Amino acid sequence: MQDLENEVRNLVAGIIEKDPGEVTPDAKFFQDLGVDSMMALEILAAIEKKYKIAIPEEKLPQMISLRETMNIAREYIGKKEQNV
Amino acid sequence: MARKSRMFDIAAIQKALPQRFPFLMIDRILELEPKKKVIALKNVSINEGFFAGHFPGKPVMPGVLIIESMAQAAIMLFYSEEMNSGAKKNYYLGSVKVRFTHPVFPGDQLKIIVEPLKITSAAAIVSVSAMVGEQEAAKGELALSIKDEPRTF
Repeated sequence: MQDLENEVRNLVAGIIEKDPGEVTPDAKFFQDLGVDSMMALEILAAIEKKYKIAIPEEKLPQMISLRETMNIAREYIGKKEQNV
Repeated sequence: MARKSRMFDIAAIQKALPQRFPFLMIDRILELEPKKKVIALKNVSINEGFFAGHFPGKPVMPGVLIIESMAQAAIMLFYSEEMNSGAKKNYYLGSVKVRFTHPVFPGDQLKIIVEPLKITSAAAIVSVSAMVGEQEAAKGELALSIKDEPRTF
């Protein structure tokens, strides 16, 4: 799961234009990293595309940090694998 | 049978969009499937004020105004009857990634095609392209959002 963390971290860092080192698991997207709602949607869309999953819109407000975002990604990757 | 796609003339566009002269940058909507697809037209005339300065004697449509046309067409993805009632909404352009592939001159007609890559109830990331005839003039991606509450400055 280390891979997933690194992948999602790099993806988030690319979208918000920060150094990946700044995107620590518990850094708060909005307060600490300056993420706004449009960037959050871009992050969600990029994760959906990368892992070929669909994450419902209601999950967006829960994506408040890298850790939470990874948990959501993991949950939906898991659901996809169960369906295969 | 319900019509899936509908066309808007300028009166219908002005009911739905708040932009006005000199900044209403679409003239007609050829196809609209809310949340799925918009095809809009922007007629480019030498009478437009910006050509006086961009550039004297060499009129070329500014790329940022092509983006504005694309963004206004993209708003129509969120079209609903409610928009015609003058309900106060705010539109935000969040990010732009557009490549300009061919210049746009007076007399050209831009056909703007918008399709969502990701859309929620209040925001979208869209793929956009602007064609002049068969020639692509610009293409890229926009992120935009739409909010009900009036913005207080």
